[in-house]
Amino acid sequence: MLQILIYGTINSIQLALMALGFALVYGISRVPNFAHGAIYVVAGFITWTCLKALGLSYFLSALIAILITGILGALIYRFMLIRVRGMAISEIIASYAIGLAILEGLRWGGFKGMTYTLPVFIAGSVNLGGVPVDIHRLLLIGIGVAVIALLWLFTHFTRIGLALRGMAQDERAALMLGIDSDLMALLATAFGSMLAGLAAIVLLPLGNIVVEAGYNVLILAIAVCIVGGLGSWMGAVLAAFLIGFAQILTVKYLGSHYQMVVALLAIIFTLIMRPSGLFGRQKELEERV
Amino acid sequence: MKEKRLSFITLMSALILLLAPFSAALAADNIVIGCPLSTAFLYGWDAERGVKLAVEEINAQGGVNVGGKKLPFKVEVIDTRDLEPGVPVSDALMAVEKLILEKKADFIIGGPVRSEAALAAMDLLSKYKKVSILTTGVLTPAYHARVEKEYDKLKYCFRIHGEAGQLVKEIMACFAELKEKAGLNKVFIMVQDVAHARGGGEIIAKVAAGQGWTVAGTEVYPTGTTDFSMGLLKAKDTGAQVLNIWMDMPESSILLKQWYELKIPALPFGSTLAAAEQPGFWKATEGKGEYTLCNVVNAGNAPSKATDWTMKFYDAYTKKWNIEPEGLGSSSSYMAVYTLKDAIERANSIDSDKIVDALEKTDLMGVYGRIRFNPKNHQVIPALDPKEGAVGTILQWQAAKRIVVFPKSIATGEILLPPWMKK
Repeated sequence: MLQILIYGTINSIQLALMALGFALVYGISRVPNFAHGAIYVVAGFITWTCLKALGLSYFLSALIAILITGILGALIYRFMLIRVRGMAISEIIASYAIGLAILEGLRWGGFKGMTYTLPVFIAGSVNLGGVPVDIHRLLLIGIGVAVIALLWLFTHFTRIGLALRGMAQDERAALMLGIDSDLMALLATAFGSMLAGLAAIVLLPLGNIVVEAGYNVLILAIAVCIVGGLGSWMGAVLAAFLIGFAQILTVKYLGSHYQMVVALLAIIFTLIMRPSGLFGRQKELEERV
Repeated sequence: MKEKRLSFITLMSALILLLAPFSAALAADNIVIGCPLSTAFLYGWDAERGVKLAVEEINAQGGVNVGGKKLPFKVEVIDTRDLEPGVPVSDALMAVEKLILEKKADFIIGGPVRSEAALAAMDLLSKYKKVSILTTGVLTPAYHARVEKEYDKLKYCFRIHGEAGQLVKEIMACFAELKEKAGLNKVFIMVQDVAHARGGGEIIAKVAAGQGWTVAGTEVYPTGTTDFSMGLLKAKDTGAQVLNIWMDMPESSILLKQWYELKIPALPFGSTLAAAEQPGFWKATEGKGEYTLCNVVNAGNAPSKATDWTMKFYDAYTKKWNIEPEGLGSSSSYMAVYTLKDAIERANSIDSDKIVDALEKTDLMGVYGRIRFNPKNHQVIPALDPKEGAVGTILQWQAAKRIVVFPKSIATGEILLPPWMKK
């Protein structure tokens, strides 16, 4: 039971970290950033390059990676997504194409195999009530909670944060109040990409930096956001816990084989039962009717 | 007069048709080897390197002697991507067809690498009558079983590396040693969700149970899995002492890192464990993969003195590619080219049916022992002694080195247990 509680919480925080950036971008700009997974992988490779190839400190490498992914996100919005904003299918195709180009470009550039790894922040493991847990995973819980709390504070107590929330709630009303819609959407894409970068730096030391992770992260982020309700950040966090615990229970009692199925089934069930997700509002009216 | 002219045309046409294959072979500037390989993965890129090294050596000596004329080999590689998660088998089949139709491959060497894709490609090879020598990845016993069952149709398909059945025998010999020397008798099986791994895991479970081992459980992982902690804890809860792993995905190195971090008291023993085969494994796991055992299928993929040719190949490969042979596919791909050269020269032709006959009669001392094919199923004949047949290799990571621990005829060390397993 304790094992499920500990690993369920860790898995949920992992999912939340993966999905928050995606949820933020969609929440503000209504653009589903399908390049999210690619940005996650790019952050991993930038950190690796700074750390292993340039010999910079871990902290500085992480900082550089987060900043570069932020700039990358802003550039993606400024030069690509802004042109297709409001055209749902085009947004998906354009952002997915960017992600695909980045990921396959990395593969083509030789970033393949298992040699790209990041060290854990603190090595070793501890025993919690008979359950062995590595220290990095415990740190991950703390970092995840801190990120969620900081995001909440940022969106409730800063001018930019409040403007972003205003955009998310009603873009037209925000425009009337003098909020620059495109600038806010650009900032949201940049912040979302930075969150993807942060997630990569925190999560990738538990595995390898591989191109395939980009596709997995994208699927999981989409699953979490759909279940939580597209555009709802708190919904995404709750959905991460729902899917996270469901995955761990599935692994424990059915087998690892079905872990990914949980996320995909969650998407299907949500779309059938409640298309706007747990906290989404986009189709609320149609659902009531 | 009209009848005479007709007879002359018929005679000339018959002559042209009769001589066409021979003259085509002689008229060609080179012999094209098509390599359908999943080049982003170990079993793809090391096979490509093995083939190219052999071709370079052979061409440097003038090429292949066909009917008194020396023809060089030419290599055409297409990325099948069949080891990547989610890529359909049809993509690999398209790659094979492209090699045959567009690149005009005379022979296919290498893959497809994934068992499912290789099995599907057999019919394609049969359709175009192209001789293929599998050299990497594919371990499923279904491959040579199909050749035996449908010999007339699938006689063009050969495999020059070991298969799952042989791997299991080698692993069980090591298990017997672990049981005798360290008293281990409980195994937990962890497999990737692909045909050869699922099949291999099932065979190990059956054979191990038959030899007095307790099979504590089997966990199947989708390709691309990056978190194995719950499975490892499951294995720990069952009291397993050996983790038998069948995975060719690079993410399997994560499994070993997590095994070390959680100090799971079970010896990781990879039947196929692509990550642990590679020299870069130590660096990738920051040394956390120490004590990991893995089967690299054939000698020459790790340093040993199996035959006079083994270290010559090993050193030549290292010199050319600036990295040691990395795992399954290196030595077998290299040997496949030499075996093909030998067959072409004996057949004095590149005609597929003649090459099939010649390959069936192959008897060549190679990098990993005596190379012979079972004439009924076209599987390379395995052995524990390199003088008798193709030998395998099981290695263990010890102090940053790949130490060969099996078979005894070529071993350079003994199996060690991690400190947290010692009582």
